Amino acid sequence: MSITHHPGEELLLSYASGAADEAVALLVASHLTMCRTCRLTVRTAEAAGGAVLSSLPPAVMGDRAYESVLARLDEPAARIVREANLNSEVPAPLQRYVGGDYGAIAWRPIARGLSHLPLETRGGTRARLYRAEPGAVIVPHTHRGDEWTLVLTGSYSDETGNYGPGDVQSATPEIEHSPKADPGPVCINLAVTNAPLVFRGIIPRIAGWFFGF
Amino acid sequence: MMAHAAAFAEPWSVRHRLAQPVLRRAVALMDGTDGDPARFDALVLAVGRAHDRRAFKDLFDHFAPRVKGYLVRLGARNALAEDLAQEAMLAVWRKAALFDPDRASASTWIFTIARNLRIDSIRKELRPEIDPADPLLQPDGERAPDETVEWAKAEARLRLAIAELPREQSRIIELSFLAEKPHSLIASELGLPLGTVKSRIRLAMARLRLALGDGA
Repeated sequence: MSITHHPGEELLLSYASGAADEAVALLVASHLTMCRTCRLTVRTAEAAGGAVLSSLPPAVMGDRAYESVLARLDEPAARIVREANLNSEVPAPLQRYVGGDYGAIAWRPIARGLSHLPLETRGGTRARLYRAEPGAVIVPHTHRGDEWTLVLTGSYSDETGNYGPGDVQSATPEIEHSPKADPGPVCINLAVTNAPLVFRGIIPRIAGWFFGF
Repeated sequence: MMAHAAAFAEPWSVRHRLAQPVLRRAVALMDGTDGDPARFDALVLAVGRAHDRRAFKDLFDHFAPRVKGYLVRLGARNALAEDLAQEAMLAVWRKAALFDPDRASASTWIFTIARNLRIDSIRKELRPEIDPADPLLQPDGERAPDETVEWAKAEARLRLAIAELPREQSRIIELSFLAEKPHSLIASELGLPLGTVKSRIRLAMARLRLALGDGA
């Protein structure tokens, strides 16, 4: 498995800085699980964050700030429980949203061979999983904003290329594409958009509205 | 005092903040014992191993005001920034045993604590992160580049590299951390095309990665 399409460095930087909202952070963290190269970039960016923190002019703390923290040092801390199932093909950050088994997800059908699951995230960006049987097609669409798609299993192709496990496709508003799942394993991907998709044709538009795209 | 607090609550303005480069100070700070990164790593380790309260006091004195300053720069009002800075230091105390100086310096580790606390408490969002124990992470074959560098030394080199970045690049990196907004918005506020901002980020990150690799 070799990843050839990585998220843009500005996306990795916004993840490291915390500026990225939850859905984007979910996509980046899931990609990082699968990509060592981008893990190094994010660690590099976080180290830059450490440098920024050290170099900020210190603010003045309240008079009794240290004492009030001191008084709480012996409070029992909430135990950190590991929720992730580590024998799963679902990346740990995604398991919080969909569980540890793609097969157990209550997929909602959209079209032949194609189903989806909108995820609950806060922030302005929206995330959903797609499940596409080999040959299934998402009708041609453009975007009002950006769309990032992370392939989790299987692969798909569109006018711009081929995307396999761990790859992230970044689509800007000017790109029109109709991704088609390749032969082989079922293609599951995580798609994040910061504006609704725009489908070509009136029926897909109505369907798109109906399914909440 | 009130006027001072009100000034902090003003909406963030990129142009206003540009007058205050902060990254260049990182290097100056490292020269004094006050800013010696290895010293802070040792303090966090002492807290993690032995619940060393004297070490914790030193960490508090150095980092609490900076975490508060970071939160204020990102728009938090004084009282909230104060509370969250205290929470962050409490998290430092509680999580110190998990601190691994081979993965991050103390200031980077504390930055991530403050960043996540802010996302959780102010934005009320979850923060998806990798699970270091996830078998999907395991290197398949040769060791990953992020596991081969001696991180403490690497971060020291990285700070030097940051200070040597062209101002136009370090400014974008700085704004990425101190303005909670997409790069498209940062670009338009700076009057730059988004492509220019993205290429400055790419150039800056390439230099920083190179600095991490040197001497590894």
